[in-house]
Amino acid sequence: MHQRSIVRVAAPLLIASLALSACGSRGGTDTGTSTGNKTAIIGVMAPLSGNLSALGLGIQHSVELAVQQANANKAVPGWTLKVEAKDDEQKPDVGKNAATAFAAEANVAGVVGNLNSSVTQSTQSVLATANIVQVSPANTGPSLTKGANFSTAPVRPYKTFFRTCTTDTVQGKFAADYLYNTAGFKKVATINDKKTYGQGLVKEFTKFFTGLGGTVVGAETINPDESNFQAVISKVKPTAPQAVYYGGEYPAAGPLSQQMKASGLNVPLMGGDGIFDPKYVALAGATANGDLATSVGAPADQSAVGKKFLADYAKAGYKEPSAAYGTFSYDAANAIINALKVSLKDAKDVASVRQATLDALGNVSFDGLTGKVGFDKYGDSTSRVLTSYKVANLKWAQIKTVTVP
Amino acid sequence: MDIFVQQLVNGLTLGSLYALIAVGYTVVYGILQLINFAHGEVFMIGAFGALTTSLVLFRGQTSLWILPFMIIGAVIASVVTAVLMERFAYRPLRNAPRLAPLITAIGISVFLQEIVRLNYDHVPFTSWNPFDLPDAKSLIPFPQIDVVTGPAFQVGGVTIQRAAIFTIGALLMCSAVLWYFINRTKMGRGMQAVSQDPDTARLMGINVDRVIVVAFMLGAILAGIAGVAQGLQNNNIDFRMGFLAGLKAFTAAVLGGIGNVAGAVVGGLVLGIVEAMATQYIPGQFGGSPWKDVWAFVMLILVLVFRPEGLLGAKAVDRA
Amino acid sequence: MIKIPDIPESVVVRHGAKAWPLALAGAGLLMTGSLLSWSGDPQVLGDLSISFNPGGLQIQALALALLAVVLLLAHKGPLTSLGQWADTALGLRALATWALLFMVMVVVAITIEAGGLINIDPGGWISLLGAVLLFAAARLVLPRETRDPAEAHLPGWSEILVIVVLMAAILFGTAYALGLTDAWEFVLFLVFVTGVVIAGIRAGLLSWLGHVTPRHRHVLTLAAFAAAFFFPFTQNGSDANMSIASQILIFGAAAMSLNIVVGLAGLLDLGYIAFLGAGAYVGATLSTSAFATIGWNPPFFVVVLLGACVSGTLGLIIGTPTLRVSGDYLAIVTLGFGEIFRLSMFNLDGNNGPDLTHGPNGIPAIPDLAFGSFNFGDTHNVLGIPLARFSNYYFLLLVVIAFIILVFSRLNNSRIGRGWVAIREDEKAAEAMGVNVFGLKILAFVVGAFLAGMAGTIKAHQDVSVTPDQYIFLESAFLLAAIVLGGMGTVAGVMIGAVILKLLPEKLRFFSDYRLLLFGLLLVLMMRFRPEGLVASKRRQLEFHEEDEGLAVRVEGEFAEEVKP
Repeated sequence: MHQRSIVRVAAPLLIASLALSACGSRGGTDTGTSTGNKTAIIGVMAPLSGNLSALGLGIQHSVELAVQQANANKAVPGWTLKVEAKDDEQKPDVGKNAATAFAAEANVAGVVGNLNSSVTQSTQSVLATANIVQVSPANTGPSLTKGANFSTAPVRPYKTFFRTCTTDTVQGKFAADYLYNTAGFKKVATINDKKTYGQGLVKEFTKFFTGLGGTVVGAETINPDESNFQAVISKVKPTAPQAVYYGGEYPAAGPLSQQMKASGLNVPLMGGDGIFDPKYVALAGATANGDLATSVGAPADQSAVGKKFLADYAKAGYKEPSAAYGTFSYDAANAIINALKVSLKDAKDVASVRQATLDALGNVSFDGLTGKVGFDKYGDSTSRVLTSYKVANLKWAQIKTVTVP
Repeated sequence: MDIFVQQLVNGLTLGSLYALIAVGYTVVYGILQLINFAHGEVFMIGAFGALTTSLVLFRGQTSLWILPFMIIGAVIASVVTAVLMERFAYRPLRNAPRLAPLITAIGISVFLQEIVRLNYDHVPFTSWNPFDLPDAKSLIPFPQIDVVTGPAFQVGGVTIQRAAIFTIGALLMCSAVLWYFINRTKMGRGMQAVSQDPDTARLMGINVDRVIVVAFMLGAILAGIAGVAQGLQNNNIDFRMGFLAGLKAFTAAVLGGIGNVAGAVVGGLVLGIVEAMATQYIPGQFGGSPWKDVWAFVMLILVLVFRPEGLLGAKAVDRA
Repeated sequence: MIKIPDIPESVVVRHGAKAWPLALAGAGLLMTGSLLSWSGDPQVLGDLSISFNPGGLQIQALALALLAVVLLLAHKGPLTSLGQWADTALGLRALATWALLFMVMVVVAITIEAGGLINIDPGGWISLLGAVLLFAAARLVLPRETRDPAEAHLPGWSEILVIVVLMAAILFGTAYALGLTDAWEFVLFLVFVTGVVIAGIRAGLLSWLGHVTPRHRHVLTLAAFAAAFFFPFTQNGSDANMSIASQILIFGAAAMSLNIVVGLAGLLDLGYIAFLGAGAYVGATLSTSAFATIGWNPPFFVVVLLGACVSGTLGLIIGTPTLRVSGDYLAIVTLGFGEIFRLSMFNLDGNNGPDLTHGPNGIPAIPDLAFGSFNFGDTHNVLGIPLARFSNYYFLLLVVIAFIILVFSRLNNSRIGRGWVAIREDEKAAEAMGVNVFGLKILAFVVGAFLAGMAGTIKAHQDVSVTPDQYIFLESAFLLAAIVLGGMGTVAGVMIGAVILKLLPEKLRFFSDYRLLLFGLLLVLMMRFRPEGLVASKRRQLEFHEEDEGLAVRVEGEFAEEVKP
């Protein structure tokens, strides 16, 4: 008898509660915050774990800083901006999942990312289908904005994709010009790491360097997962180059420079923004002096805005430094915020004004950390400020900053 | 001609490194018929052991007398890793089907890489870093030692790195000691007996468990020394260095005839030379550095097909 | 898992009688508490702060309590006639242990998320107290005589009904779990499901299911596919989970193909991802992408066949010379082959070889598939529910995986399958008995590669871009791990393994940095403690537990039954 009474009590209770939960409305629909503002999300896709996490976290925090400042200044009246970061693990599959998740969220106004071109190739189409703007702070491959035949017949493949960094074309040309005209080297060997960035950079460099009249005496590749490059160095050395132009990133470039000098190939190594990192000098060791690099934008610690960014970043207390792509990410986030100022002004929700956001982003123009931020008809950055650097006293020192036409 | 000799030197240097690691695969395989896939990670941990010794005890000084301590640190780190691995992961699986230890090995390999990547610079679950060790998520510069590193020697038109001499010297010395150990000591002869017939060896009073531990230790000692050599040669180490080196070294062991210690040395040297020569001499589009690994693996497959026992003859090929 | 020490028998005997009402009281408390507010902070764990309107976690607690009540009533009370088939005492103990774990984790989660124990409302404490009481009392409940569940026969229709209900539960459970965005909620739901499943195992319900399902194998398969088929309809048109689900299917398809090679024929392949990659590259180069290097765009089903054939041919090329060498060598040769494939795709960019793959850049901007006027990129409305891009691919992949599973089980239950088992067990003996060892090995290799290639061609379109860095060694290791984790040679196991390896990292992003570490540890522990996998085929289980005589007898009996015409 005892147990039956329990059942009698429990069963109606359970049924009642299930019914209540089915019809009752439970939270979860709050789009606004306590201030009555509506929320718009700026997404970040970058490798937040794994061996590139330092760069990815720098991107995330720089965007967070930009958004935090925008909220403080009430840049978009009536709206609160929020950052939502998703890890892409440097993998196209995972990146695609992250992009799809953003596409499914009604509040996502724009996305900053990715770091790796191979991942961007997978995320571009997903965000384009949802008509969400995507601004990459780091992808330099020309085909992302100009399609398969970027030099002969450029066609923009995805109208929602923009970038704040320059393409390999701009940087390769700048480096070729520096080596041929300023440094006066006529014979150069190239080495690349056969990754999208490195190979693209060397290709563009070679085109302009030979165009100027220089000779590329050797074109080699290395596997950046290895760390012994003797065989390649021995092959390059007899061709007696006056400099080696390297396309790739600092983890391989540093040891390459060190091993070059140790093998008696005492010529400067030059690279792009991928090697412009303090760790390059640490890895290349005592013989790094004289090595060269180009990078996009004016050095952050030279301009007033750059100094302010670094100070604000330090004040915000992020655990990881802003790293190589911090300034581009900050500009990318601000480009989206500037577009939202226009598109969200009288908007009821984020999803319905995506086209307006896209149109507004195409027309933004403001002074960012990397120069004047704006986009051409392909979505490429119109900022063409480049700086060359040289290692002196085991530190990167600025040579000159120029604006390329 | 200079170029040929130069690439020969490069190949020998690279090959010596492969050979030092390959011995570890071959000794363990000879006794247990087990591919210790995680051996590459033992090599990596050896390099980190040397780095830690130098940073913690000597604050990264560069005097020559520090080198022996670094080698000892490397060897201790790798031997401890290898012995723990044997005791807690492989021994319980000794009678399991062949697939089990192989998959365990892959698991250990991933685990060790990750533990170094995530926890080298701090005590797990804290941010406590008492010795101010560097972050292991990216490449770490390896301390350079006077005399052993520095400007290369020029012999005619050929450049010889100082670290290369160290590596080749280490291989020569280790080979000699190893030969003596295996052929002239009681334990070494015990190892030979176990590799020929473990059951009979056990009946003859040989402690098989101990022999197996010694085999793991032997491999680890050589891998630790190889870790120091690689650090000195390339000026940097990172947590992923074990994977590719381990793969190549295993290829070298199979090439020479797995289970055969002399074969591992020969296989390593041959593989190193093939890679260097492929970079230099294979002409056309399928030549050069991008394809050298492809040619190395193609050679491995060819050797296995036409001479499955390897260059010098393997032990117990058929027992797999 | 920590082993909870048994309570001394004398205590059990003395207090056994009081245990039953105590347990009932515990379950009642757990229920009552769950109807009240658990947490003062409505922002955490999906709002548990409204009394008499339980949130997701509270409903789970209610369900646990209700199950406990049912078990108790089956133990002693009106449901005893059902209870005689099940080991209610053991089931109750397991259920109570997991219910306690669940409640403790809830309290911990609220404390961490909301910042302090202060946020836990009385309801939370009442539920916790109920769980503690239930746990203590359940350990005192006396075990009873039970009858072998194998003898339990229900009418056929009700057994089918059970299968259908089970599949529906899995479907909605999965949909619910995928909808959870909070990592704590997800983990707690996993705890809930694990608790229910383990209680079911302990009570003997699963072994009953194990006897029922073979009687209705077709119903089971059909129900499983129906559940998978209806999954996209539970997503309300959102594509976020469908992207993950379709990736799981591709991964599962590749793992199933590898299962033929490793699970059935016992050939260890460490470079298997290359076959998926070969299919993907064929799909990409023959697509209408502006980056495609071959200007030939045949209809898609031709591409699928071509991709499968290219992949199968690669399998033949790599297999013919190397299958003559034995086990471990095969592992290393396939590993080498995997690297050769990746490096070749990496190098064929026009600088180091003919321009076929664009090297590291890969082939991006692959257009969506279109069958007639049905474009896979568009959103289609079916029964008022919008099904977007990834749902479309999901359905296509479901067909592919059904085909792969069909091939797998047909082969497994044929002469060929028995030949493979013979080879796996003892190659020499098999050869002596007249099994064509070499031919069968090659067949396994080629069929596996063929199927993986097929899945690869679809992957190319689903992924939009094909790059060499998707086909690294670690991916092969993951494929192998899915098989090992789930259970070699089984269908359900491998699919479960695929789901675990692809879904958990997506849902548990908060420890994404520890993902690989845990993966490595999982492989080691799995091999040490349960080498036959989560879902073990009996035969395979015997291989790993040779000393288990009872198991040997059972397997022999089943095998004899199987062989009988």
